[in-house]
Amino acid sequence: MKNNKTARSYLVNTLVIAAAFILFQVLTGLFGSEGDFKLVLVPSLWQCCYLILLAASLNLVLGFLGQLSLGHCGFMAIGAYTAALISLACERAGVFTDKAGLVYILIIFGCIIAAGLLAAVTGLLVGIPALRLKGDYLAIITLGFGMIIVNVINNLPFCGQDGLSQGSAAASLYKTGLGFGSKAKVTYLWIALVVTILCLTLMFMFVRSKYGRAIRAIKDDEIAASASGINVSSYKVLTFTYSAFFAGVAGALYACANSSLSTSSFAFTNAGILNSTFVVVMVVLGGMGSLTGSIVAAVIMFFVNYQIANGSWVAALPPFLNGVFKYPMLVYAVVLVIVIIFRPRGIFGTYEFSLTRLPEDVKKARARRAAAKAERKEAVSHG
Amino acid sequence: MKKLFCLLLALCMVLSLAACGGSASSGSSAPAADSGEEAPASAASGDTLKIGVISPNTGNLAAYGTGIHTGAELAVEEINAAGGILGQQVELVELDDRADPTECLNAFNNLVSQGIGLIIGSATSGATSAITGPANEEEVVIIAPTATADSITTEDDYIFRVCYADSAQGAIAAAYAKTAGFDKVGIVYCAGDVYSSGLKDSFSAACAEQGIEVVATESSAALTTTEYTNQFTAMVNAGVDFVYAPYYYDVIGPYVIPQARAAGYDGVIMGADGYDTTPDYVREADAPAFNNIYWTNHYFAGDTSEKVTSFVAAYKDKFGSEPSAFGATGYDSVYVYKAAIEAAGSADPAAVRDALADTSTVYECVSGTFSFDVSGTPVKGAPVITFKDNGDGTIGMELVDVVEASDLA
Amino acid sequence: MSTFIQTVIVGLRLGSVYALIALGYTMVYGIIRLINFAHGDFIMVGGYTIIFTVPLVLALGLPAWAAVLAAVAVCALVGMGTEIIAYRPVRKKGTNMSALITAIAMSLFLENLAQAIPAIGPNPKVADQIFTAGGFKIGSVTFEYTTVITIVISAVIMIVLYMFTQKTRLGRAMRCVSEDKSAATLMGINVNHTIILTFAIGSALAAVAALMYMAQYPRIYTTLGSDLGIKAFVSAVLGGIGIIPGAVLGGFVVGLFESFTTSYISSSLADAVVFLILIVVLLLKPAGIMGKNVGEKV
Repeated sequence: MKNNKTARSYLVNTLVIAAAFILFQVLTGLFGSEGDFKLVLVPSLWQCCYLILLAASLNLVLGFLGQLSLGHCGFMAIGAYTAALISLACERAGVFTDKAGLVYILIIFGCIIAAGLLAAVTGLLVGIPALRLKGDYLAIITLGFGMIIVNVINNLPFCGQDGLSQGSAAASLYKTGLGFGSKAKVTYLWIALVVTILCLTLMFMFVRSKYGRAIRAIKDDEIAASASGINVSSYKVLTFTYSAFFAGVAGALYACANSSLSTSSFAFTNAGILNSTFVVVMVVLGGMGSLTGSIVAAVIMFFVNYQIANGSWVAALPPFLNGVFKYPMLVYAVVLVIVIIFRPRGIFGTYEFSLTRLPEDVKKARARRAAAKAERKEAVSHG
Repeated sequence: MKKLFCLLLALCMVLSLAACGGSASSGSSAPAADSGEEAPASAASGDTLKIGVISPNTGNLAAYGTGIHTGAELAVEEINAAGGILGQQVELVELDDRADPTECLNAFNNLVSQGIGLIIGSATSGATSAITGPANEEEVVIIAPTATADSITTEDDYIFRVCYADSAQGAIAAAYAKTAGFDKVGIVYCAGDVYSSGLKDSFSAACAEQGIEVVATESSAALTTTEYTNQFTAMVNAGVDFVYAPYYYDVIGPYVIPQARAAGYDGVIMGADGYDTTPDYVREADAPAFNNIYWTNHYFAGDTSEKVTSFVAAYKDKFGSEPSAFGATGYDSVYVYKAAIEAAGSADPAAVRDALADTSTVYECVSGTFSFDVSGTPVKGAPVITFKDNGDGTIGMELVDVVEASDLA
Repeated sequence: MSTFIQTVIVGLRLGSVYALIALGYTMVYGIIRLINFAHGDFIMVGGYTIIFTVPLVLALGLPAWAAVLAAVAVCALVGMGTEIIAYRPVRKKGTNMSALITAIAMSLFLENLAQAIPAIGPNPKVADQIFTAGGFKIGSVTFEYTTVITIVISAVIMIVLYMFTQKTRLGRAMRCVSEDKSAATLMGINVNHTIILTFAIGSALAAVAALMYMAQYPRIYTTLGSDLGIKAFVSAVLGGIGIIPGAVLGGFVVGLFESFTTSYISSSLADAVVFLILIVVLLLKPAGIMGKNVGEKV
């Protein structure tokens, strides 16, 4: 019975995803060269993809394991630089000349995997000492590691201004071997989607596995968990490493979406949306312990951020509001405090979206609404 | 039940992505739909000519963005008052990139989807490098006001700039060191900043060419570093009398120069266009330290040529302050477009590009009279400016020399 | 030799500023076990207050440093406001981690609010001279009076704070709150008042730190708080967070390490080395140099 249900849900999920994917590919084929699709929708999707991966991977540590890590973008930086440098080396060595063909696709996937692995190794190295500490100490030490990673990349000669150069201009890498233009972004959009879906699936499987249950036990009560035979430190390091892997993959996607990298983009705070603080904001708002929440929060916050910078309606607002939108972080900070006060686990809490459970959820929600209505009616009639 | 929801979640992602993307496009396609129809029509009918401006208007580098877009606004106002370009009024569409590559690319895509084919932007090399490839692909012309990294214009046909490249700026500094008779120099730079480390590279390369020996190189980790005493002590120990220190005004004024002098370094300190506006960032008591300091800039605000004086007067009149070099290059970018559009006879991006690519055209600008080289970088000299302690706690500037482009060959 | 002396002096100069800021961190952490991420931003608030009040103070015929009084008042108000509006509701409802995230949110809020205020804006500002320049010479190297003043002030504040928390009624109440809030309530201590007082003192320290920071490093900008705060926080943790003399010790250790790395190893790796030291110390002695390891309550 149980197996049957699992098999059925797998089938349903796979079919729906396949159908959605095919539909998407058909649409891409139809409108691939249209202006708005190519210039607005596709780049947005790319950015959503890496933001989703970044937020979801941090959620493993922050939401499920219950440890605050403030240097998550450091792992993303490692992924981005690894992917960019490998692809650039391949380009310089003449492995590919134009950005097309099977070899190139293999190189892209190779870069993505290498990026994830190197980030995971760094995560392991950082995690072993760092995770011996907890709470506040862990937060500050991960923050420190995030800064060290950036500092070290700055000092690597081969990350120089033109990539793999002898120069010491360490803060920027122009025109990486990935670095898709608008057309390539449309062509290879499927890579971003497939990688994101695959990674989310892996993360979801992790959370639902015995490892996931163990880390949730650790979050709830470390001492009780260790008394029940859970090896707390090895589970912590495992989660941290696993999470770093996906942050590295997100970095590789970032390298694909941008033709230039500079370490200032991966700082603890900066003017853009991509920084360790902002990822924490996404995870907390979405829900600590809800991957669905992270996904929704990443997408919504990307959208809001994009609209504030580029939406034509912003200019039409009265000057006062216009000023507020110049500093969106101001609004996010207030929203964050309000959410933490009124919903300490984030908006989605630990809720996860499920397709097979959707009918039940809808039914339940309807029943709740009906009950509430009936109650109100009763109250009115009594009153 | 195990692993039940994983794929569902993935689906949710795809759907939400599609939803988001859909709304993102619908949100910004509203203006696109309007102007998408208008832009080509207007080009023909003579309504308005739209030029996009991407600059960092908020965030830490907002001063740059403010300079660029105020300069561009002033130019557009003048041009419109004088009848526009080819009889068309000019309209600027300004977007903010917060000096971030991704935001810059988003802004670029937004402008292109509105049908704008002529863009000015962005301030920093890091942000600008994100849009050079796409601009070539979309056949959209870009004039970068202040992106100085060499690689910005080299590979792409549609990218031009009105500032000189890092290599030229480094070479000018090295040439100046040579003429002033220094054969041993030192470098202090910021390893965590693109601008500073780019200039350091080009300066040391130029030194090698000129036969100048770089005997000491010191660095700082980030622009937020406050302490430079040890670096300059090392310079004193190395026995150099010429230090190239490519930093920005807000580091130079309060930290680098007072601390260098306090560390006992009395020699020449040379910098680049980042020194612009430094006098506003110096404590009164530190003013005596500001002697023997030289820097190269895009233009000299105290220049007596008619072009510069009228620009400075008009800018002060409109915005109430002296224009920075960013203001000057923003202003020049618009006028270069004007000249190119008039030469091409149309505002069609491809035609404008061809006009700009004509290396024989001479542009007379606030930031010098120049023509483009094959890559799209101006061939021009640079004024070498020195700071002078006025003796009353303020700092003055004086033009020392103008290094001509021909001197560098 | 003169390089060595110079390096030591630079280290003391940096360290004195870190120590002064770290005192504020440690003060708040010692009482409510919260890393007040916004503490760095209180310094920013204090700094701008000083910049705007110095002309006023000079017009009244007072010395420039008297502006610190206005900064103390403003910072204390901002600190208490932050506690009442943000930290207290969260502390009632959430976990330790939510409090930490709230602190980050408040830091973001203050930074961006400052940028949004037209008089401040995103451009850096440079402060006027606060103390008369000058110093005495050790060999060929000048030791500035400002640095000496900063060191003295850190030491005085350290001693006063230490005496305050150990000897006075209010100080005892604070320590009691940090040990056990409910027991403190039973003893007739008003926990909320005590915590507000802690924030007022901690933020007032930020104002003093702002003054001394600006006397030595006269540039101020809106994100100063996160840049400076991180180093100072590292100092506090290094010395043993919550321990008042530890903060001062940690500050000087960080300053000296930074300076020696710049002079003798690699100037661009100074930040990385500081964090490496922190990591090493925390691994060997998780409670910091002066901290005592405490067993966990089950």
